This record gives sequence, C-alpha cells and structure tokens, in this order.
Amino acid sequence: MTESFAPGVRVQDLTVVYRTPVGELPALAGVGLTLAPGTITGIVGESGSGKSTLALSLLNAVQPPGRISGGSVEIDGLGDVVRLTGDDLRRARGRQVGYVFQAAQNSLNPLKTVGKQLLDLGRSHDVADLPALLREARALLGRMGLDGGRVLDSYQHELSGGMRQRVGIMLALVLNAHLVVLDEPTTALDMITQATILRIVKEVHRERGLTTLIVTHDIGVAAEVTDSLAVMYGGRVVEHGPTMDVLGSPRHPYTRGLIRAIPRLSGDIGEATALPGRPPTLGTIPAEGCVFRERCPLRMAVCDTVDPAPAAYGERTVACHAVGRPVNLAVRKEYV
Amino acid sequence: MTVTQLLPAPATPRRNFWRGVLRVMRRKPSRMAGVAIVALFAFMGLFGPLLYPSPLPRDDNALYAAPSWAHPFGTDFEGTDVLALVVTGTRYVLLAGLATAVITVALGTGIGLLAGFHRGRWDTVLMRLTDLQLTIPGLPLLLVLSTVWKFTSPLEMGVVLGVLGWGGIARAVRSQTLSLRERGFIEAARGLGLSTRHIVGRELLPSMAPYIAMNMLIAVTGAIYAQVGLFFLGVLPFDANNWGVMLNLAVFGGGALTSAAALPYLLAPLLAILLLTLGIVLVVDAMDEIFNPRLREE
Amino acid sequence: MITGTGVTKTYRQRGNLLGGRDVQALRGVDFAIEKGGAVTFIGESGCGKTTLGRIVAGLETYDSGEIVIDGTPMSGLRHRQRQAHFRRVQLIHQDPYSALNPTRTIHQTLHAPLALRARQKGRSKAWAEERARELLTLVGIDPGYVLPRYPHQLSGGMRQRVVIARALTVDPEVLVADESVSMIDVSLRLGILALLKDLRERLNVSVLFITHDIATARYIGDDGELYVIYRGQVVERGPTEAVISEPVHPYTQALLSAIPVLRGVERPGAERVVPTEALDERHADTGCLFARRCPFRTERCESERPSLEGTVHGHACYHPQPRAVIPVEASA
Repeated sequence: MTESFAPGVRVQDLTVVYRTPVGELPALAGVGLTLAPGTITGIVGESGSGKSTLALSLLNAVQPPGRISGGSVEIDGLGDVVRLTGDDLRRARGRQVGYVFQAAQNSLNPLKTVGKQLLDLGRSHDVADLPALLREARALLGRMGLDGGRVLDSYQHELSGGMRQRVGIMLALVLNAHLVVLDEPTTALDMITQATILRIVKEVHRERGLTTLIVTHDIGVAAEVTDSLAVMYGGRVVEHGPTMDVLGSPRHPYTRGLIRAIPRLSGDIGEATALPGRPPTLGTIPAEGCVFRERCPLRMAVCDTVDPAPAAYGERTVACHAVGRPVNLAVRKEYV
Repeated sequence: MTVTQLLPAPATPRRNFWRGVLRVMRRKPSRMAGVAIVALFAFMGLFGPLLYPSPLPRDDNALYAAPSWAHPFGTDFEGTDVLALVVTGTRYVLLAGLATAVITVALGTGIGLLAGFHRGRWDTVLMRLTDLQLTIPGLPLLLVLSTVWKFTSPLEMGVVLGVLGWGGIARAVRSQTLSLRERGFIEAARGLGLSTRHIVGRELLPSMAPYIAMNMLIAVTGAIYAQVGLFFLGVLPFDANNWGVMLNLAVFGGGALTSAAALPYLLAPLLAILLLTLGIVLVVDAMDEIFNPRLREE
Repeated sequence: MITGTGVTKTYRQRGNLLGGRDVQALRGVDFAIEKGGAVTFIGESGCGKTTLGRIVAGLETYDSGEIVIDGTPMSGLRHRQRQAHFRRVQLIHQDPYSALNPTRTIHQTLHAPLALRARQKGRSKAWAEERARELLTLVGIDPGYVLPRYPHQLSGGMRQRVVIARALTVDPEVLVADESVSMIDVSLRLGILALLKDLRERLNVSVLFITHDIATARYIGDDGELYVIYRGQVVERGPTEAVISEPVHPYTQALLSAIPVLRGVERPGAERVVPTEALDERHADTGCLFARRCPFRTERCESERPSLEGTVHGHACYHPQPRAVIPVEASA
C-alpha cells in the first residue's frame, strides 16, 4: 500500500457552467472549499444548489451539457483534478477517489453478480492479484455486517436497499481509495437502515483513515456524521465551518432558516417555521447580487447589486453582507 | 362586457400547440427538410393528375429514351414520360398508405387501450384476437385475395393491409396503457370519480400521442413498401398506375437489370419511394417533442 | 368518521414453479379516523402502512375485516356505491411529478373534477372556474400564475399544492397523505405540512398521514393519534405526543432512536435502542414479530405473539418499558 494517507482537498474558485438554449448558465459560481485530511465534510443544499455538481467535480466527472469552466480542484497525491485527462483520470477514479452513488439509483448492473462486477472493476484498474481483491471485498463486507461470500454471489435484485448501499461503499473502498464521496447515501432508506449506514460510514472512515465527503439534502444526516459542514445555495457555498458551530449558531440567514424549518421531536412545535419563497433553479439564479436575497429577512440595498464574498470568522466562512454588521432589529419576528 | 369575460382567459392549448409544432420543426433543419419532402409528395398526390391529365402522351419515336430536358427521367416502353408516371402514381400510393395507417392505428389503439385499461376478461379475449391477427400470414392471404379482387381503388388496398397489420400496435399500446394506468394522475382521476371516457380520452390518449403518431407514420411507410412490393411481384393486376407496376415493367419488361436503357425507368420510382420514406423518417424524429409540452414549450 | 376493524390483506406472490410465497401485508388492523382528526401511520417500508392508506382511499381491496365510512359498512356494497363512499377519502401521492398529467395544464386538471361537481350540484360553468381559483388560493398559490401552466413549469412544492387543491375539489372528509413531502425540497416541506395542518383547522378535514418521519407526524398533529406498524401489525398506538415522549414498545423506541440528532442543537437520548438485526421479511411468523431483532426478547416472545393492549396508549409487547430515546434540547 503506497498511498495510505488521508488526502486533503482544496477547491478553488470552481466554476461549472451548463449549456442551455439561453446560453451558458453557472451551476457553480466560483466555489471555494477545503476538506481537511481525515475529516468527514458534509455538503447540504436543496435541489439546484450545485451540491451534486460539486461532488462530481472532485472526480472531474461533470457530464455534458455541463463543463468545468474555471478554477481548480487540488487533491493531495493527485494534483489538480481539473487538468487530468484520459487514462490518468480514469485510474484516479476508484484508485484514489471512491464514489458511492445514491442508494435509490440502481448503480449496480442487474445482469451481473456483485462479484463479477467487482472483478470487472479490478481488471479495468489492472489489479494483478484478483483473489486478493475478492478477499479484501469479503473482509470489507464482513466489516459492514454482511455475509461477504453470499453478497458477492448475489444479483442486485436479491439485495435490500441497505445492503446495496453497503455494496456501493465496498466498491468505492476496495481499490484502497482514501478520498470517498458519498452522494445522498441514505435517501430512500428507512430510518433504522439509515442509522446503520451512517454508523458504518463513521466507523469505516475512522478505521481506514479516509477523507470523506457526504452530499445530502438532509441536515439531520449531515449533523449525525460530519465534522465540518458546508451549506450550499444557488451554486455557492454560503456557510462553512465545524458542524456543531454551524448548527448550534448558524450565521447565514439561509442556514438559520433551513434549521428552523425542520420539524423536531421535542420542544415547541410552533417554533418550526417555513422558509418563504423557493430555491432558485439554474435559469432563475440572479445574474448579480446575493442569490438568497429574495427569501432573506436581512436584505439590504447592497444585496441587490453585490454578490457577497465568503469572509472568514474564526473557523467559519460566511458569505453574507448582513453578518458581522449590527443586526437590523426591525426584522420580522419569526426570522430572528 | 360581462364579469366572466373579465377573468383572464384560460389557457388555449390549441393555439399554443400549433405554434409549438412550428417551433419544434424549426429546431432542426432536417425536420424542415422532412416536412418539405412530405409536402411535395402530398402536392403530387393532390394535383399530379391535374398537371398530367390522362391519357399521358406517348412518344413512339422515343421508347426507353435517355434522360433529357424534355424527359428528366427518360421514357418507358411506350415512350411515356417517366416523371409524369411517377407523379400521377403518387396518389394511389399515398392514399393506400394513409388508409392503411388510419385503420391500423385506429384498430390497434382502440383494442390495445380497451385491453390494457379494463384488464381481466376483456384483456384475455382481445389479446387472443391480437395473437390470431399476428399469426395470419399476410402475403399468402393477399395472393389468394388478389385472384378474386382487383384492388383498383387504393382504399380497398388500404383496408386489406390495415386489417392485416394492427396487431403489433395493439400489443404496444396495451403495454403502454398498463404502465400508464398505474401512474398517480390516472389513479387520482379515478379517485375523483371522473368517467372512464374522460380518463381514456383526456388523460391516457394524450400521453400516448407521440407514440401513436410515430406508429402511424411508420405504418404509412410500411404500407407503401407492402403495396409497391405486391405490384412489383405482379401479384396484383395492373389496373392502376402505380410505382410498383413501373418497377415490375422496368425489370421484367425492360430488362433494367441487364441493359442500361431501362435503368432510369427503374430508378425513378425507387427514388420516389426512398425520398418519401426519408421525409417521413425525418418528421418522425419530431413527434416526441411535439406532443410533450415540456419539450415543445422550451 | 372512518373506522376499520380487523383489516387483513395478503399478497400472493405468484412466483416460479416451486410456488410463491405469501406476504401478509396487514394482519388484522383496527383504526379510527375522527372527523377533523389527525392520524399517523409510521413504520419501515414494507410494513403495510402504504397498503393500509390505499385501502382507506378505496384504491386497494382488503381480504377480511370491515371498513365503515360514516356509519356505512363497505363490505355489503356494490362496487359503484362503494366508490362513491370512498370518494370522501382522497389520496395525496408521494410523487407530485407523476400525480399530475404532464400533457394537461393545471386549468384542465382542476376543471375536469369541478365540471363534474358542477353538473352534480346543478351549478354553472362559472362556478367551476371560480371554485378552481378559490381552491388554489386556499392552498397558497396564485391562480393567475398557475392555471395556464403545465406541471413541468412548476416547482415540486407548487405541484404538491396543486395536487392537494385537486383533492379538495370533491370536498373530501379525509386526506390521505402518503409520504407527501419526502420528494420536496427541504425548505419547502414545512410549508406543505403547515398547509395540511391549516386545512384541518379551516375545513375540518381529517388527515391520515403515512410516513417514516416521526417528526413530521408530530408537526401535523400533536393532538392526533399515532399508529406504529411493524410487519402488518399495529405494535403501539396512542396520542402522538405520548407515543413520542414515552414510547414503550422496543420497536417504536428503535425507530425513534434512529432519527438523526441535530448536534449542536440537540443531545441524543440516554437510552437509544438499536435492533440486533436488520429487517428480514423471511423471519418466522411465530411469536412476537419483532422478537428476532429485539434486544429485550425473552423465551416467551419467541413462542407467543402479544396483542395490542391498553385503551388510550396501547402496545403489543410483553416487556413494555418507557425509555429515554428521543433527542433533547442541548441547552436544557
């Protein structure tokens, strides 16, 4: 094992545009994000926030009509992924960066057993010792509480959602990747299965010394497993910092609104408040000014013209004009 | 002006629809080319016999003449202009093709919908009927029929081909219906107590429109091949002016396969068939976008 | 008011040559939905909650037992009459994308049931038009904007509101909401839940809420009833707030323990329960259905099946014991 270390990732000024009939629209607009080595980072956002595009960018796998039009993604031991092409890129995916697709998606081939697919993966990455690969896979599956031999002999339809998700994690890790990206790892899974998968993600992360990125729309999932949390909105990272801090004392009005919109099991039900308006889509992201201003209770004149740049507040980064200024107390009560 | 008129008019999908069709067609030049080709043949079918009133002039001095300005595709064994023959032959081919398509699609869609929507006993009976239709050997049956029937009218031709060809569409429409009827909006329509007529006519059919339209156009091409083939084989008596008859005469009468003289006579109807099929295929490409409001409105 | 007693449903899986396996989706379920009340069925997927919701909405048949709608038992009725009764119950689908016909504008979608309604009530066409606008306003969207549009031009939240408006065209007594917010953006979910809550108060419709997310159930109706369903059996039932704050069945406790904790805002409960195994439908049906996965099982659990006991807050367990499983506020 040569690269048995957890790599750090630095995304800088990343811009991804999608070609549409009305011209190229930015899905990501100058995103900056750092994943510290050995941590679990969560990206939360609604549909259209650009979170999945960002995750795909880590593998330089944005599909047409989208393309990375600027910026860089530096991964330790790999260099700038944006500049990788052809075979180098293909080897990096799987070898260094493992990707776990959504549980709901059928990312497994229904016509081949899991074991066959594993061997295909090994061959396409020129693994010399295939029996060792199988052993490693069985060990990983066993670690996740499954009967490795049985699972490798199974077809996709013979596995439950939670089992499929574990197979996905195994396939992402079996080539000894140390950067793992999980896209909506628990969407469409039941509560108890979700809890199991999240526990496994945490344990495997720790035992194998990984750098993990989890993309999800569910703040609860992110809260449960992540060390650091990035909140995305309209193609920007609007707030990023240690998970406990971001959730405990959110500073961006969107983060605040989002947390407030979660119904909870204890406390006053009336405290949960819906966020007004709706998230922007690719076509409705404003060309200038803050992307959140239409729904923002703290909106000021400057928000209409200037897109707030992310500013550091201790360990936290927040992109908002109103943060750091005295809060305008004339704000409607329910948003404070 | 009354109060009700003051309310903003509800959407008028009809007007939007044709504007949308135009928009979809303009998206690709190939589609416009397809429309132009189909329009050209439609024009020939409608006005061909007016342009070349029968009987077509013969020129006894120019049998199997080579292409020239006077005869762009040469002349046939009697010295008749080949272009005139192709143009006047269009009507029969198109009419028979259309009749076939209308009958296949009407029968196929009706039976498929009924079977898929009601399931149960209806389904069993109708699908056995469909299987029966699919097992009828078309060509031998036509050979037998042609001994008693002259097929002078293209509509007769169309009816026979149509009745022999609806099975495939019925099966396809049934399976589409089976999958659509499980969709939320069909279930909701039933839960709201809407009539079966409404559900089938207004909810199911429009969802299948691209599919049906596509099948209809493909049925037209299929029918053209079939009838031209029948005439070419000489199975049917030569009562009508038809591209297939031309092909037959060029090959078996003019020896087009061995001598160059009759070649233009052979190629002209072939070219017409090819061009018409190409036109239809190019138009089929647009069907999905025309009937899907999402793709149409963009 | 709708009541069900001993409702059972078995799916026969016609499988291969070796014969199929029967799946008991519902094993004798009793329930009652009061007028204007809020009832929630929770459980894992495949537990039968969706089947039960569809039976209540008249979209699925049941094998035995009885459903009574406003005093009329359904089993004696002919199909057509039964459908008329079940029209009082409208299902809000999980997926607002497939619940609206993509080829029809919202105006056409709402107009069809309203025109039918107008004919039945002897009202004019103008009434139907007016009513469509009224309903859209009621569910919180601008009729002028929505009516001429196709579903694909609306956001998920708007579509779900249109679906609710369509259900309201027949003046239903019960709205069955089956995972109705799971496919909607997080910031918009609460709006839909608040709408359902609001409809309860303003129109006095009851809401039957089917979900695996207990927190949303609590938001819809803390004054309502919660049914915890496991493999086709109600294992715990009671006032929503009581079941959440003092769950006694280990399965309910496992479900509640599995809810992610909002760290920084909440602390995990002190006695979280984790099942010893994953759900496996092939587990034997003898004894308590949850026994194989239960950390507290005894010999008795494996041989005898407990039935639902208790009047207000009932449970089907031989060893009921309240445990502190739900997350608590961190500041407390």
